[in-house]
Amino acid sequence: MSFRKLSIMIVLLVAVAATACATPTPTPTATPVVVKETVVVQPTAKPTDAPGSVQLNASGATFPQPLYEDWAFAFSQRDPSVVINYAGGGSGQGIKDIKASTVDFAGSDALLKDADYAEAPNLQMLPTVAGAVVLAYNVQGVTTTLTLSADAVANIYLGKIEKWNDPALVQLNPGIALPDLPLNVVHRSDGSGTTNIFTLYLSAVSAEWKAGPGAGTAVDWPVDKLGRGQGGKGNPGVAAAVQNTNGAIGYVELAYAKSNNILCSKMINAAGNVVEASIPSTMAAIQDAIFDDRLTAIIVNSKQPDAWPIAGFTYLIVNKDYTDCKKAEKLISFINWALTDPSAQARAAKLLYAPLPPEVVPTVLATADKITCNGQPVTMQ
Amino acid sequence: LAAVKEMATMDTIQTRREHKTTTASPLSKALKHGDVLFNATIALCALAVLVLMIAIGLMLWASSAPSRSAEGWSFIFSTEWNPVAQVFGAAPFVVGTLITSLVAVLIAVPLGLGIAIFLAELCPLGLRGLLGSMVELLAAIPSVVYGAWGIFVFIPSFVTPLGNWLMNTFGDPNNLVQLPIFAGPFFGASNLAAALILAVMILPTISAISREVLSAVPRSQREAALALGATKWETTWQVVLPYGLSGILGAVILGLGRALGETMAVTMVIGNVAQLSTSLLKPGYTMASVIANQWGESRTVLYSSALLEIGLLLFVMSLLLNILARLLVWAVARRTPEQTE
Repeated sequence: MSFRKLSIMIVLLVAVAATACATPTPTPTATPVVVKETVVVQPTAKPTDAPGSVQLNASGATFPQPLYEDWAFAFSQRDPSVVINYAGGGSGQGIKDIKASTVDFAGSDALLKDADYAEAPNLQMLPTVAGAVVLAYNVQGVTTTLTLSADAVANIYLGKIEKWNDPALVQLNPGIALPDLPLNVVHRSDGSGTTNIFTLYLSAVSAEWKAGPGAGTAVDWPVDKLGRGQGGKGNPGVAAAVQNTNGAIGYVELAYAKSNNILCSKMINAAGNVVEASIPSTMAAIQDAIFDDRLTAIIVNSKQPDAWPIAGFTYLIVNKDYTDCKKAEKLISFINWALTDPSAQARAAKLLYAPLPPEVVPTVLATADKITCNGQPVTMQ
Repeated sequence: LAAVKEMATMDTIQTRREHKTTTASPLSKALKHGDVLFNATIALCALAVLVLMIAIGLMLWASSAPSRSAEGWSFIFSTEWNPVAQVFGAAPFVVGTLITSLVAVLIAVPLGLGIAIFLAELCPLGLRGLLGSMVELLAAIPSVVYGAWGIFVFIPSFVTPLGNWLMNTFGDPNNLVQLPIFAGPFFGASNLAAALILAVMILPTISAISREVLSAVPRSQREAALALGATKWETTWQVVLPYGLSGILGAVILGLGRALGETMAVTMVIGNVAQLSTSLLKPGYTMASVIANQWGESRTVLYSSALLEIGLLLFVMSLLLNILARLLVWAVARRTPEQTE
């Protein structure tokens, strides 16, 4: 985690330096003015709020935390009156915090349940970016990229495939000499949105998984019962466990795997094609995402021909109504900026998050713009 | 002037003596001396610890109510931990915590005591300061650094060969000698790795305090033993160590306390598998680790209260162990009356 944070800091500093060189001064006229039906953002007419006068506090998912921190930094440079503190802590923490109104918004990879909405009908989820989950492995002597199928992954995590030279794996990887080596199956030990996406995928492709462990941010792993499971804390923990155990396989975020050059498998997707995990294949997976009226979508096992099958959205959870009008106003403008401004999208791409499909963005923004303040529409200044 | 001062001090000493003899001294005079104020402040400080302990206990008790009423006593004995199905049993964590801590103490006590005896009895003076501060420096290393070192250095270079050897020698079902505590399969991250890391982590606590205790043993004791013709070994083993035994026990208890509550380093090397197992070579889980791992994502009330109930169990367990240890120290102290003077 610390390595990752450090590298993000460096990327961030480089990005700042680069933008500082490219554009002399970010004058309001130089930034693109986004005009939509309901809200007109007019930076030129902005009366100056005192710097740091509006504090937006947030907590929640750690998966998008690097991006949200980066966005928060960039946004407060644009509008110095806003300070956004995104505290992380996990999706569960974020959901608890926003229900208790200790934060102004939350981040979550996990979807709110019916019970949550019943308890707090004021909540609204808004997708921001998508991420993918990949399978990293370490088999001594195998340096080529392995290919896995949905059944193979499910059976590995169910504990049915015990050794690397299992016929199912050999058949998927002709020409690769797989050794007679027991599989050590690594999963996340901490509750995690990554686990949620991964187990949603397993539940989608395997009836046995769905009936057994099911999907969630932490599950009861069947391989643990067989003595061949292992839990690692965070993406770095899983990656370290995989890299230090001969015969290990584990799931990590695409962004983490890419930025650390971790060897990960190809997958056969629902369309039957062999695909490699990448930002384009993640974007292919979210192309046909169907959002429900809560603005959430499950995109595992996408049927698109080029889609990476293990992917998911991450969300902001906001209130539909705020008591502090300034906070509501700044939050709406932050969401608008984050989802439409090219520089914000560039920051997302740089950190290897897949942007929302363009046709979804207006719906999300329209929902964000419906946020009210004490029941009244928010007047944007 | 000096004489006057002396007179004054004599005077106060006298009045103090008078206060002691008279049963009810006037409040104003007592206040003048500041004793009452001082005593009250000190008492408040001591009381704060008690209040804090009670407050933590009450918080854990109150916030674990949903889990306590749902699971009852079976919470402690049930081995199933399934957040998806909302079934929570803490047995794997309780057992994992006890096993790793006890094994760690078993390894660290002889080592730590050896270090302490060497530093206090045998070490050349020039080396003593350097070695002593090195040992204390070990205590200053953050546990996450221990964990990272465990994953990248300690497990691959030491634990894995040791574990493989143990498994092949004692754990192989085809062998004549087979011990279930060394049964495989073994992948590196395990109860053994956690116990060894913990042993390293509690080593400075045990050795630093034991060294202080041994240094405090009066010279006359050693001299008397040596004068009777005892060797260095006999002096250390039969005179110095028994003299400092209750202090050394105190050091062991502090070490055990640290091992029980250690979170980060253990989480990084234990494998985090919520299964009850008799093998040291299999991955396990501890109480502190499961709270640290799963708190952030505990979505439901029952889930988070189950985690807090584990916290309550850990709290009670530490408390019981401390009381037990205190009794042990008392028993030992009573057996060696010369120490209590």
